[in-house]
Amino acid sequence: MKILRLSLFNLKKNKREAAAVAFLTMVTVFMLSIFFANGSKLKRAFDESFAASGSINQIVIFKDSFYHDEFRRILESDYKTDRLTENPFIFAGATDVRYESGEEVSFNFLFATERTERRIENFLKTDAMSDEELKSVSHPIWMPVNFNITKGLRVGETFTIIKSGRDYPFTIAGFYDTGLDSSDGYGFKCILSDEDYDLFSMLFSSGSAFSYNCVGLCFDAYDDFNFDEFIEKCSESSSENLTSGTVNLSYEGEKNNETVFADMFLNMTAFLSLITMISALFMIRHKISNDIEDQMQQIGVLEALGYRAHEISLSYLYEYMISGGLGCILGALAACLSTPLMNTFDETMLGRTVTGNTEVIKMILTALAIFIIVIMFALIKARTVKKYPPVVALRRGILTHHFGRNVLPLENTKGNINLRLAMKSLFSELRSCIGVTVCIIAAGITILFSTVSFDFFKDGANGLMAMMGTDDVMMITLMSGVDPENIRDEILKMPDVRKAIVTYDLTEIGVKGSDFSGTVQVYEDYKDAESITPAFGRYPEHDNEIMISYRRSKIENLSLGDSIVLERAGLEKSYMITGIVSSIMNSGSSLYLTSDGYRRIDLNARPNRINVYLKEGVGYDEFEDKLTAKFGLSAKDAAANQTVGGSMEDKIRAAADEKIAAMLSQYGVTSVEYAVRIGDELITGNSRSFVIKETATWEGMAKTQLVPIAGTFKKFTVVAAILISVIVGVILSIIAASNVRRQRHSLGIMKGLGYSSKDLMTQMAVRIMPVIIVSLLIASFGALWLNKFFWLAVIGAIARTSIKAIVITDIVLVIFCYVVTYLGAGRIKKISVNELMTE
Amino acid sequence: MASSILRTEKLCKSFSNMGVQQHVIKNLDLDIREGDFTVIMGSSGSGKSTLLYALSGMDKPTMGKVLFADTEIQGYSNDELAIFRRGNCGFVFQSVYLLENQTVLDNVLTGALIVQKNSPELVNKAKDLLKKTGLNDEDMKKYPNQLSGGEAQRVGIVRAIINDPKILFADEPTGQLNSSSSKDVLDIFTDIHKNGQSIVMVTHDLKTALRGTRVLYLRDGGIVGDYEMPPYGEDDIKNRRNKLTAFLDEMGW
Repeated sequence: MKILRLSLFNLKKNKREAAAVAFLTMVTVFMLSIFFANGSKLKRAFDESFAASGSINQIVIFKDSFYHDEFRRILESDYKTDRLTENPFIFAGATDVRYESGEEVSFNFLFATERTERRIENFLKTDAMSDEELKSVSHPIWMPVNFNITKGLRVGETFTIIKSGRDYPFTIAGFYDTGLDSSDGYGFKCILSDEDYDLFSMLFSSGSAFSYNCVGLCFDAYDDFNFDEFIEKCSESSSENLTSGTVNLSYEGEKNNETVFADMFLNMTAFLSLITMISALFMIRHKISNDIEDQMQQIGVLEALGYRAHEISLSYLYEYMISGGLGCILGALAACLSTPLMNTFDETMLGRTVTGNTEVIKMILTALAIFIIVIMFALIKARTVKKYPPVVALRRGILTHHFGRNVLPLENTKGNINLRLAMKSLFSELRSCIGVTVCIIAAGITILFSTVSFDFFKDGANGLMAMMGTDDVMMITLMSGVDPENIRDEILKMPDVRKAIVTYDLTEIGVKGSDFSGTVQVYEDYKDAESITPAFGRYPEHDNEIMISYRRSKIENLSLGDSIVLERAGLEKSYMITGIVSSIMNSGSSLYLTSDGYRRIDLNARPNRINVYLKEGVGYDEFEDKLTAKFGLSAKDAAANQTVGGSMEDKIRAAADEKIAAMLSQYGVTSVEYAVRIGDELITGNSRSFVIKETATWEGMAKTQLVPIAGTFKKFTVVAAILISVIVGVILSIIAASNVRRQRHSLGIMKGLGYSSKDLMTQMAVRIMPVIIVSLLIASFGALWLNKFFWLAVIGAIARTSIKAIVITDIVLVIFCYVVTYLGAGRIKKISVNELMTE
Repeated sequence: MASSILRTEKLCKSFSNMGVQQHVIKNLDLDIREGDFTVIMGSSGSGKSTLLYALSGMDKPTMGKVLFADTEIQGYSNDELAIFRRGNCGFVFQSVYLLENQTVLDNVLTGALIVQKNSPELVNKAKDLLKKTGLNDEDMKKYPNQLSGGEAQRVGIVRAIINDPKILFADEPTGQLNSSSSKDVLDIFTDIHKNGQSIVMVTHDLKTALRGTRVLYLRDGGIVGDYEMPPYGEDDIKNRRNKLTAFLDEMGW
């Protein structure tokens, strides 16, 4: 009891330190509780939502032109399935849509009718129009509840699908729980009326690689089902290469896709809590050391009075049992109270309704575990009391006296004495800096990583665009027969353009032995590429070299130096992998070839595309208007354009152009000539009036898939950076305060010699600066490494790293640490020389 | 008569203890002359050390003025007082207060380098002064815990005078020393004084007081006796002791 009183006295005396320990343990318990409670809840919420939807767990989608009834027979005979149905769908990749707010984005869609929907799941509506309301709606659409949760769309709002430049406005009739195809990554299954479905079926039947009518085999699969094997069997049966034009939607894939980012955030939360815990433990260690040194004589007196070393140790232990225990209770309480907030987070991440109870047991267990760790750590350090028997303790730990080499003797002082004394003090107590170094390195990595990530995400999707493995350009596909070099030269004359290169239109190409076909990107010289950077290896330089995405290298277990065989129109060519690149565009399917390399696999290939790099600040829409003014409407835009007014001849020409454009852009027609006679008048024309077939950018799709991630991550990085900065601030100020108390005697003497409080506070702050600077240097390299491998691991892409952001953050952190330590050493002001001399 | 270097006007110093005010120094008017070796004596608890701290700018008075060479210092902030001290005052403490993690030479230079820039002359001066007090080159490399009490106090004195302070303050500098070490230390003070150093020393030891040229006796917060003597060694030591003893007896010591 007497020992407890001593602990309480120490707690009262050092309220700030006790509060800091409580704060750090609270933050640790809070974050770890969230990690443990939400990690399992997230997965469970997905399972519950999936189960509630009554969805089958597998859909294998074939392009309708590839599908044969035999495929269903193979499935039925070779695999165990339940609830197998064969249903029509429309796959609409990278389709532009406009919300009622006017915001335009792009998604992958899978359109189905209500009849199909009811065959594969319950069509459980979470919010919907009444039957009466529905009657007055001409184009209803039912959407996955994800749109309601994450995009904030509401029933009754207009949702416009844009196809070939035309608007197809729908009214949101309701939202529903869906099992499969409900994520930004894969796409969204939307339900249309039969009439609208038929219309879209015609619109999306162009045979494009990204939009087509399809047939889906929908069923409950069991463990024996293997998609790759099944597709291989189907390919053999049909003698067709089915690697492109098949889509696999599965329970596992959907779950992983929807939880990958939530998992990432939760893992980062755990990482932050780990840093906080290391910091807390380090601070406890440092404080106990200082306390023992400071209270050495008191320890000696207690020992002389008959107290045993372990009893005195207990006084320190009780101190941390109280402060750490309080932190653990508050942390668990905060975690409990944050449950509704975390449910909202889970809902946003999953795009599904989440209802979950507070995981009280997990939170209590987490708090208990942290409490035990704190106590164990405190006990181990507090047991050092036994190193000091009464005589040693009463002599203020003679063992700590100096007999060693004089580091940085003052007779060699050059410049400021405060700086010299600070360095002298640092070097004579280097061992005590190990803890600070570890803390600052860990915290520094987190802060720098957060800052670099924030810098990366601050402009929404722009940063992520750089990870896509493709340059942020306007892709201008030319009509056949148009000289690309000539058009490129014309485009280069436009003031908004900084660079334009001639290349080939994106082509989907098969990879032998793989069901993961690729979209080929071609550069004459990869020095022209701005956002395509090899993570490993180098760019392809010769016609037999290729660069692949990091994702492909992982999926297919390919490394630098390996060979892959590309297949196209019966031709097979082998390429050696020279580089692996960060690429998330088209699910990381991109293949990178040189022009010569591409012509090996496509003997008839002719350059037909110009990639235009715009100057800073020039928008794509703005540039497209100028492009139209210079070269006329693209065939695609002309096809979508409504007929204009004017004379009869104007109207006829516009109508003819519209028809020609539609044929050129949608049906693969390469040349059209026409003649229209009206009385004596003959109006003639041809398709040569079109120069540009179509223009496209990655902007819409990128925005859709990446902006939500960028937004969430941006917020997370800000919170992480602030939180860790606060922790660093708390630790440094407490260390400074604790050092002041331990060195009170020496500091008092220095004051007596004429050193002002400011001098001594400066010494205290300067002393820790080399440790901070070295730690931050190490942390900077750590952050660079983390930034590279974190994104590679999460999305298979390499984030751009801003060295400028790192340098600025380092400078800010050094200043921050200096100021915090300087202010933390403010207790020096309270040291009275007079008091010291009357001790 | 020598000019005044340190003066107080109506100096008061009180302490508050559990709400009770204790007036230690009361309306004290005092004049310390340049070149004097002033000794402040008094019974235990008479306020000797309190007066010394107030005079030296180590502590702020409750009321009244402290004029150092006609400059009022009682209104200075703590940092201003520190800067004032480093340029004008040297201190020798009863407990020596050497910095334990610094060598002998570094202890001396720590006091010097806050006032002046480092130079070979400064280092040589520190070494010379240490040698004059009987410490050799090897001793200069030692840490405080490797020194005897007398040696440590000699280092303390050198540290106090390295900046040629206008006044050297000493608070019972021989209080923790044996008689042999005390004599050595006092001889150093006497030598310093002979070289023109103004000294203000607090002591309750007669042998120490004998080294002074002026003895002030403090009682109930005020100076009740002021006794002057010729410099030490210029008169008969026995006669000097008798006279001082008589003065102190008269003061009720």
